[in-house]
Amino acid sequence: MSAILTFWHKEWLAAWRNYHILILAVIFVIFGIEAPLMAKLMPDLMKLALGDQFSIKLPQSTSSDSWQQFYKNTSQIGIFLLALVFSGTVSQEVSSGTLVNLITKGLPRYAVIIAKYLAAVVQWVVAIGVSFIITWGYTAYYFPDDKSPHVWLAIWPVLLFGLFFVAVVLLGSTVVNSNYAGFLVAALVFASLALLNYVKAVKRWNPIALVTDNLDLVRGTEKITHILPACGVTVAAALVILGVTIWTFNQKRL
Amino acid sequence: MHNSELFFNNLPLFVPLMFLELGLLIAALISLYRRQTVRHGNRLIWTLAIVFIQPFGAIAYFIFGREVD
Repeated sequence: MSAILTFWHKEWLAAWRNYHILILAVIFVIFGIEAPLMAKLMPDLMKLALGDQFSIKLPQSTSSDSWQQFYKNTSQIGIFLLALVFSGTVSQEVSSGTLVNLITKGLPRYAVIIAKYLAAVVQWVVAIGVSFIITWGYTAYYFPDDKSPHVWLAIWPVLLFGLFFVAVVLLGSTVVNSNYAGFLVAALVFASLALLNYVKAVKRWNPIALVTDNLDLVRGTEKITHILPACGVTVAAALVILGVTIWTFNQKRL
Repeated sequence: MHNSELFFNNLPLFVPLMFLELGLLIAALISLYRRQTVRHGNRLIWTLAIVFIQPFGAIAYFIFGREVD
Protein backbone atom coordinates (compact mmCIF):
# COMPACT_ATOMS: atom_id res chain seq x y z
CA MET A 1 0.00 0.00 0.00
CA SER A 2 2.76 2.46 0.91
CA ALA A 3 4.52 1.53 -2.34
CA ILE A 4 1.41 2.52 -4.30
CA LEU A 5 1.21 5.76 -2.33
CA THR A 6 4.84 6.62 -3.04
CA PHE A 7 4.43 6.06 -6.75
CA TRP A 8 1.10 7.92 -6.70
CA HIS A 9 2.89 11.04 -5.42
CA LYS A 10 5.48 10.69 -8.15
CA GLU A 11 2.71 10.38 -10.75
CA TRP A 12 1.10 13.67 -9.70
CA LEU A 13 4.43 15.45 -9.71
CA ALA A 14 5.05 14.16 -13.23
CA ALA A 15 1.55 15.18 -14.36
CA TRP A 16 2.22 18.68 -13.08
CA ARG A 17 5.70 18.98 -14.61
CA ASN A 18 4.56 17.63 -17.99
CA TYR A 19 1.86 20.32 -18.08
CA HIS A 20 -0.79 17.57 -18.21
CA ILE A 21 -2.76 19.12 -15.38
CA LEU A 22 -2.62 22.54 -17.06
CA ILE A 23 -3.78 21.12 -20.41
CA LEU A 24 -6.68 19.20 -18.87
CA ALA A 25 -7.75 22.12 -16.67
CA VAL A 26 -7.80 24.64 -19.51
CA ILE A 27 -9.46 22.40 -22.09
CA PHE A 28 -12.16 21.07 -19.82
CA VAL A 29 -13.01 24.51 -18.46
CA ILE A 30 -13.24 25.72 -22.08
CA PHE A 31 -15.57 22.80 -22.89
CA GLY A 32 -17.65 23.65 -19.86
CA ILE A 33 -18.13 27.23 -21.06
CA GLU A 34 -18.44 26.42 -24.74
CA ALA A 35 -21.51 24.19 -24.44
CA PRO A 36 -23.91 26.86 -23.10
CA LEU A 37 -22.22 29.48 -25.30
CA MET A 38 -22.90 27.52 -28.49
CA ALA A 39 -26.46 26.85 -27.41
CA LYS A 40 -26.96 30.53 -26.73
CA LEU A 41 -25.36 31.74 -29.97
CA MET A 42 -26.98 29.19 -32.30
CA PRO A 43 -30.19 31.15 -33.09
CA ASP A 44 -28.18 34.37 -33.65
CA LEU A 45 -25.61 32.61 -35.82
CA MET A 46 -28.38 31.09 -37.91
CA LYS A 47 -29.89 34.55 -38.33
CA LEU A 48 -26.52 35.99 -39.41
CA ALA A 49 -25.97 33.14 -41.84
CA LEU A 50 -29.44 33.23 -43.39
CA GLY A 51 -29.70 37.00 -43.54
CA ASP A 52 -32.83 39.08 -43.17
CA GLN A 53 -34.62 37.83 -46.26
CA PHE A 54 -35.72 34.73 -44.41
CA SER A 55 -38.39 35.69 -41.97
CA ILE A 56 -38.87 32.17 -40.64
CA LYS A 57 -39.14 31.95 -36.90
CA LEU A 58 -36.17 30.08 -35.44
CA PRO A 59 -36.80 28.06 -32.33
CA GLN A 60 -35.22 29.39 -29.14
CA SER A 61 -32.41 27.31 -27.62
CA THR A 62 -33.17 25.26 -24.55
CA SER A 63 -31.14 23.69 -21.77
CA SER A 64 -31.28 20.47 -23.76
CA ASP A 65 -29.25 22.10 -26.60
CA SER A 66 -26.61 23.10 -24.10
CA TRP A 67 -26.35 19.54 -22.77
CA GLN A 68 -26.30 18.15 -26.28
CA GLN A 69 -23.25 20.30 -27.02
CA PHE A 70 -21.65 19.29 -23.72
CA TYR A 71 -21.97 15.54 -24.32
CA LYS A 72 -20.89 15.92 -27.93
CA ASN A 73 -17.69 17.70 -26.84
CA THR A 74 -17.03 15.26 -24.05
CA SER A 75 -17.61 12.02 -25.92
CA GLN A 76 -16.10 13.08 -29.25
CA ILE A 77 -13.08 15.15 -28.17
CA GLY A 78 -12.78 15.16 -24.37
CA ILE A 79 -12.26 11.48 -23.67
CA PHE A 80 -9.79 11.16 -26.56
CA LEU A 81 -7.81 14.11 -25.28
CA LEU A 82 -7.61 12.35 -21.92
CA ALA A 83 -6.45 9.19 -23.71
CA LEU A 84 -3.81 11.22 -25.56
CA VAL A 85 -2.53 12.78 -22.34
CA PHE A 86 -2.26 9.38 -20.60
CA SER A 87 -0.99 7.67 -23.74
CA GLY A 88 2.75 7.43 -23.03
CA THR A 89 2.39 6.83 -19.32
CA VAL A 90 4.06 3.40 -19.20
CA SER A 91 5.90 3.26 -22.54
CA GLN A 92 7.70 6.57 -21.95
CA GLU A 93 9.08 5.40 -18.61
CA VAL A 94 10.10 2.05 -20.04
CA SER A 95 11.93 3.64 -22.99
CA SER A 96 13.71 6.21 -20.83
CA GLY A 97 14.58 3.62 -18.18
CA THR A 98 13.32 5.65 -15.23
CA LEU A 99 11.60 2.64 -13.65
CA VAL A 100 14.66 0.37 -13.48
CA ASN A 101 16.09 2.00 -10.38
CA LEU A 102 12.82 2.01 -8.47
CA ILE A 103 12.01 -1.60 -9.27
CA THR A 104 15.44 -2.99 -8.46
CA LYS A 105 15.19 -1.15 -5.15
CA GLY A 106 12.07 -3.12 -4.32
CA LEU A 107 9.09 -1.19 -5.67
CA PRO A 108 6.58 -3.92 -6.63
CA ARG A 109 5.63 -3.82 -10.29
CA TYR A 110 1.90 -3.94 -9.62
CA ALA A 111 2.27 -0.73 -7.56
CA VAL A 112 3.43 1.12 -10.70
CA ILE A 113 0.37 0.10 -12.70
CA ILE A 114 -2.16 0.59 -9.90
CA ALA A 115 -0.81 4.03 -8.96
CA LYS A 116 -0.80 5.13 -12.60
CA TYR A 117 -4.33 3.79 -13.05
CA LEU A 118 -5.71 5.53 -9.98
CA ALA A 119 -4.00 8.84 -10.77
CA ALA A 120 -5.37 8.77 -14.31
CA VAL A 121 -8.89 7.86 -13.17
CA VAL A 122 -8.86 10.74 -10.67
CA GLN A 123 -7.72 13.15 -13.40
CA TRP A 124 -10.54 11.84 -15.63
CA VAL A 125 -13.17 12.33 -12.94
CA VAL A 126 -11.96 15.81 -11.96
CA ALA A 127 -11.58 17.03 -15.57
CA ILE A 128 -15.04 15.89 -16.61
CA GLY A 129 -16.55 16.87 -13.26
CA VAL A 130 -15.22 20.43 -13.51
CA SER A 131 -16.50 20.95 -17.03
CA PHE A 132 -19.84 19.43 -16.03
CA ILE A 133 -20.28 21.80 -13.10
CA ILE A 134 -19.42 24.84 -15.24
CA THR A 135 -21.92 23.82 -17.93
CA TRP A 136 -24.48 23.11 -15.23
CA GLY A 137 -24.05 26.58 -13.71
CA TYR A 138 -24.31 28.51 -16.98
CA THR A 139 -27.14 26.31 -18.26
CA ALA A 140 -29.18 26.78 -15.10
CA TYR A 141 -28.65 30.55 -15.40
CA TYR A 142 -29.29 31.03 -19.13
CA PHE A 143 -31.84 28.29 -19.80
CA PRO A 144 -34.04 27.91 -16.72
CA ASP A 145 -36.50 25.51 -18.38
CA ASP A 146 -37.72 21.99 -17.67
CA LYS A 147 -36.28 20.39 -20.82
CA SER A 148 -33.50 18.53 -18.96
CA PRO A 149 -34.82 17.08 -15.72
CA HIS A 150 -32.10 14.47 -15.05
CA VAL A 151 -28.92 16.50 -15.39
CA TRP A 152 -27.18 15.00 -12.35
CA LEU A 153 -27.99 11.44 -13.33
CA ALA A 154 -26.59 11.55 -16.87
CA ILE A 155 -23.00 12.42 -15.96
CA TRP A 156 -22.32 9.30 -13.86
CA PRO A 157 -22.03 6.90 -16.81
CA VAL A 158 -19.31 9.11 -18.37
CA LEU A 159 -17.31 9.01 -15.15
CA LEU A 160 -17.78 5.25 -14.92
CA PHE A 161 -16.66 4.82 -18.52
CA GLY A 162 -13.33 6.30 -17.40
CA LEU A 163 -12.59 3.16 -15.35
CA PHE A 164 -12.72 1.14 -18.55
CA PHE A 165 -11.15 3.60 -20.99
CA VAL A 166 -8.17 4.44 -18.77
CA ALA A 167 -7.50 0.71 -18.31
CA VAL A 168 -7.46 0.25 -22.09
CA VAL A 169 -5.02 3.16 -22.55
CA LEU A 170 -2.76 1.73 -19.84
CA LEU A 171 -2.83 -1.73 -21.44
CA GLY A 172 -1.92 -0.28 -24.85
CA SER A 173 0.90 1.73 -23.31
CA THR A 174 2.23 -1.37 -21.53
CA VAL A 175 2.03 -3.81 -24.44
CA VAL A 176 3.47 -1.58 -27.18
CA ASN A 177 6.64 0.48 -26.68
CA SER A 178 5.43 3.60 -28.41
CA ASN A 179 4.29 6.87 -26.90
CA TYR A 180 1.11 6.95 -28.93
CA ALA A 181 0.21 3.26 -28.56
CA GLY A 182 -2.04 3.86 -25.56
CA PHE A 183 -4.07 6.40 -27.48
CA LEU A 184 -4.24 4.34 -30.69
CA VAL A 185 -5.32 1.17 -28.88
CA ALA A 186 -8.00 3.12 -27.00
CA ALA A 187 -9.25 4.72 -30.23
CA LEU A 188 -9.34 1.31 -31.90
CA VAL A 189 -11.29 -0.22 -29.02
CA PHE A 190 -13.70 2.72 -29.08
CA ALA A 191 -14.24 2.34 -32.83
CA SER A 192 -14.83 -1.41 -32.45
CA LEU A 193 -17.41 -0.82 -29.73
CA ALA A 194 -19.11 1.77 -31.95
CA LEU A 195 -19.30 -0.80 -34.77
CA LEU A 196 -20.56 -3.43 -32.34
CA ASN A 197 -23.43 -1.10 -31.53
CA TYR A 198 -24.99 -1.96 -34.90
CA VAL A 199 -25.76 -5.41 -33.51
CA LYS A 200 -29.05 -4.82 -31.75
CA ALA A 201 -28.77 -7.73 -29.33
CA VAL A 202 -25.62 -6.40 -27.60
CA LYS A 203 -26.61 -2.72 -27.48
CA ARG A 204 -27.70 -2.76 -23.86
CA TRP A 205 -24.47 -4.52 -22.84
CA ASN A 206 -22.10 -2.33 -24.82
CA PRO A 207 -19.91 -0.05 -22.65
CA ILE A 208 -20.17 2.66 -25.31
CA ALA A 209 -23.76 3.28 -24.19
CA LEU A 210 -22.25 5.06 -21.18
CA VAL A 211 -21.03 7.91 -23.38
CA THR A 212 -23.68 7.88 -26.12
CA ASP A 213 -27.00 7.68 -24.26
CA ASN A 214 -26.42 10.66 -21.96
CA LEU A 215 -28.65 13.12 -23.74
CA ASP A 216 -31.59 10.70 -23.56
CA LEU A 217 -30.87 10.30 -19.86
CA VAL A 218 -30.83 14.09 -19.38
CA ARG A 219 -34.12 14.52 -21.22
CA GLY A 220 -35.68 11.64 -19.37
CA THR A 221 -36.49 9.72 -22.56
CA GLU A 222 -34.35 6.84 -21.31
CA LYS A 223 -34.13 5.43 -17.80
CA ILE A 224 -30.76 4.73 -16.17
CA THR A 225 -31.87 1.10 -15.61
CA HIS A 226 -31.72 0.68 -19.40
CA ILE A 227 -27.92 0.94 -19.39
CA LEU A 228 -27.27 -0.88 -16.11
CA PRO A 229 -26.11 -4.03 -17.98
CA ALA A 230 -23.62 -1.90 -19.91
CA CYS A 231 -22.41 -0.38 -16.61
CA GLY A 232 -21.81 -3.90 -15.25
CA VAL A 233 -19.88 -4.95 -18.37
CA THR A 234 -17.82 -1.74 -18.18
CA VAL A 235 -16.72 -2.31 -14.58
CA ALA A 236 -16.01 -6.02 -15.15
CA ALA A 237 -14.05 -5.30 -18.34
CA ALA A 238 -12.07 -2.58 -16.53
CA LEU A 239 -11.01 -5.04 -13.81
CA VAL A 240 -10.05 -7.75 -16.31
CA ILE A 241 -8.05 -5.31 -18.46
CA LEU A 242 -6.29 -3.91 -15.39
CA GLY A 243 -5.40 -7.48 -14.37
CA VAL A 244 -4.04 -8.25 -17.84
CA THR A 245 -2.03 -5.02 -17.75
CA ILE A 246 -0.40 -5.93 -14.43
CA TRP A 247 0.35 -9.44 -15.73
CA THR A 248 1.88 -8.03 -18.95
CA PHE A 249 3.95 -5.52 -17.02
CA ASN A 250 5.24 -8.31 -14.75
CA GLN A 251 6.58 -10.17 -17.82
CA LYS A 252 8.08 -7.08 -19.41
CA ARG A 253 11.81 -6.43 -19.64
CA LEU A 254 12.57 -2.96 -18.37
CA MET B 1 -27.59 42.04 -35.29
CA HIS B 2 -23.85 42.62 -35.57
CA ASN B 3 -20.91 40.55 -34.44
CA SER B 4 -20.01 43.03 -31.72
CA GLU B 5 -23.55 42.87 -30.40
CA LEU B 6 -23.30 39.09 -30.17
CA PHE B 7 -20.07 39.50 -28.26
CA PHE B 8 -21.28 42.09 -25.77
CA ASN B 9 -24.52 40.24 -25.10
CA ASN B 10 -22.54 37.19 -23.98
CA LEU B 11 -19.67 38.72 -22.02
CA PRO B 12 -19.96 36.35 -19.03
CA LEU B 13 -19.23 33.51 -21.45
CA PHE B 14 -16.63 35.16 -23.68
CA VAL B 15 -14.46 36.82 -21.05
CA PRO B 16 -13.39 33.64 -19.18
CA LEU B 17 -12.78 31.92 -22.54
CA MET B 18 -10.46 34.73 -23.63
CA PHE B 19 -8.51 34.65 -20.37
CA LEU B 20 -8.09 30.87 -20.58
CA GLU B 21 -6.87 30.90 -24.17
CA LEU B 22 -4.53 33.82 -23.47
CA GLY B 23 -3.12 32.04 -20.40
CA LEU B 24 -2.55 28.86 -22.36
CA LEU B 25 -0.90 30.83 -25.18
CA ILE B 26 1.51 32.54 -22.78
CA ALA B 27 2.34 29.31 -20.94
CA ALA B 28 3.05 27.53 -24.23
CA LEU B 29 5.25 30.34 -25.58
CA ILE B 30 7.25 30.56 -22.33
CA SER B 31 7.78 26.81 -22.36
CA LEU B 32 8.77 26.91 -26.05
CA TYR B 33 11.34 29.69 -25.72
CA ARG B 34 12.91 28.35 -22.52
CA ARG B 35 14.09 25.27 -24.40
CA GLN B 36 16.62 25.12 -27.19
CA THR B 37 14.99 22.29 -29.12
CA VAL B 38 11.58 20.87 -29.95
CA ARG B 39 10.60 17.29 -30.77
CA HIS B 40 8.93 17.77 -34.15
CA GLY B 41 9.37 20.65 -36.57
CA ASN B 42 11.07 23.82 -35.41
CA ARG B 43 10.36 26.72 -33.08
CA LEU B 44 8.95 28.98 -35.78
CA ILE B 45 6.34 26.41 -36.82
CA TRP B 46 5.30 25.82 -33.21
CA THR B 47 5.11 29.57 -32.54
CA LEU B 48 2.76 30.02 -35.48
CA ALA B 49 0.67 27.02 -34.42
CA ILE B 50 0.40 28.23 -30.82
CA VAL B 51 -0.56 31.78 -31.80
CA PHE B 52 -2.91 31.09 -34.69
CA ILE B 53 -4.59 27.76 -33.93
CA GLN B 54 -6.16 28.36 -30.56
CA PRO B 55 -6.43 26.53 -28.29
CA PHE B 56 -5.35 23.33 -30.06
CA GLY B 57 -1.97 24.62 -31.24
CA ALA B 58 -0.82 25.09 -27.65
CA ILE B 59 -2.24 21.70 -26.60
CA ALA B 60 -0.51 20.01 -29.54
CA TYR B 61 2.74 21.73 -28.59
CA PHE B 62 2.56 20.48 -24.99
CA ILE B 63 1.74 16.92 -26.07
CA PHE B 64 3.83 16.49 -29.25
CA GLY B 65 6.31 19.33 -29.53
CA ARG B 66 7.70 19.96 -26.07
CA GLU B 67 11.14 18.49 -25.49
CA VAL B 68 10.92 16.31 -22.37
CA ASP B 69 13.58 17.30 -19.85
